[in-house]
Amino acid sequence: MDALAIVILVVVLGLVFDFTNGFHDTANAMATSVATGALRPRVAVLISAALNLVGAFLSTEVAATVSNGIVKEGQGGIQITPVMIFAGLVGAIMWNLATWYLGLPSSSTHALFGGLIGAAIIGSGWGAVDWFNVLSKIALPALFAPLVAGTVALVATYAAYMITRRATSRGAERGFRYGQTVSASLVSLAHGTNDAQKTMGVITLTFIAAGLQKAGTGPQFWVILACALAIAAGTYSGGWRIMRTVGKRITEVTPPQGFAAETSSAATILVSSHLGFPLSTTQVTTGAIVGSGLGKKLASVRWATFGRMALAWLITVPAAALVAAVATLIVKTGAIGTVIVVVAAVAGMAAFWMLSRRHPVSHETVNVDEDVLAGRREPVSVGEPK
Amino acid sequence: MIAWSALGIEFVVSLVAAGGVVAVFALGLRLLAVGAPAEARAAAERVGADGPGAVDQAELPLTHPRPPWASLAACLCFALVIAAVLYGIYLIIPQFHQ
Repeated sequence: MDALAIVILVVVLGLVFDFTNGFHDTANAMATSVATGALRPRVAVLISAALNLVGAFLSTEVAATVSNGIVKEGQGGIQITPVMIFAGLVGAIMWNLATWYLGLPSSSTHALFGGLIGAAIIGSGWGAVDWFNVLSKIALPALFAPLVAGTVALVATYAAYMITRRATSRGAERGFRYGQTVSASLVSLAHGTNDAQKTMGVITLTFIAAGLQKAGTGPQFWVILACALAIAAGTYSGGWRIMRTVGKRITEVTPPQGFAAETSSAATILVSSHLGFPLSTTQVTTGAIVGSGLGKKLASVRWATFGRMALAWLITVPAAALVAAVATLIVKTGAIGTVIVVVAAVAGMAAFWMLSRRHPVSHETVNVDEDVLAGRREPVSVGEPK
Repeated sequence: MIAWSALGIEFVVSLVAAGGVVAVFALGLRLLAVGAPAEARAAAERVGADGPGAVDQAELPLTHPRPPWASLAACLCFALVIAAVLYGIYLIIPQFHQ
């Protein structure tokens, strides 16, 4: 297969991945603000998209390795080829679309790592993966992120309720809505500086591997621009399915909870990225919402929903790895194999989109339970439960 | 190596930062409500009178003007929260701290 063709495919798939990354993660920052009515859905995604766009331009320092040490790259290790990156991106995109269809928030970063792991195992064998780093950089943080953020949010929610007499003080609800908007914006900005940069890194490192760009140089301007626009467009498109799960199905989020949860997420994300134990934004925000449900009333968390998410987190890496491994096997057969993978990937994307049209979730229905839409249940008002 | 100590510090710092910001902001909101009907109702409940029931507190007029100390303290709370937000932005934008 022509090397240039693979590079072009990596660029296109990289931008598609960036787009799915955007709509997958809108919920992280904005689900609680939409659920409490602090922001109208269209306004929320617009703010989040703008901040992701700005964030993408702020941080353009490319990582030295694609996989952050999870695949043994460089000196003494294996060479991550553009073909592996291509297969890894296919795996990551498919898993992101599957979890989006099911309305489950899962980490896009983990999906990308999973895809690369699968491609590296098929490309170079089991020894290509640094399993200790898989444990310490993926598995343990996935366990700790919801625990840390959940506990922090639990305490913060309890404090917010105690201090404002269960939010009955005059103007408290409205005040918390304002506060929540600011915290959510911080989460969006932090997301933009982290996640768009990942795709820029993947594309730039592919250029370097293909000899199109000098090693050690930063991303080209058009790469930065394209990645920033892709993640912002993805964010603006909304990911309403995931937003409904995060904002409505874990717990009924009220303004004090939303404020406490978003502030806890913002604090945990900032602290974790500056103290050397990076945590997944998705897992932090989800954990914080669970914590805010516990902080108000123990029984108000729907553990079944959280259980499904936790299961999705567990299988994110293996599932993306499996898809990428199969893709690598097919690509290895030659040019026809690559064409087959591209066609299958496009067909897969189209299939998830078609499936989603059967039960669409839009900015108009993001706060409505599907049982209510189907007329099986009366709508419940969002106010304080009695 | 798994950075256990980093994780421990991370937990404590997150807890103090988030808990602090939320508590101070909530305190600010609470101070703004000093003199509001909720207060009057709470006072009434203490002496055994009936509360006004399910009335939207935001719709009711203030029964007493807010005392100046409460306004001042509320402003101080919000100033602290704004400072925390600015510090957060400083931490997010790499150009500021490199």
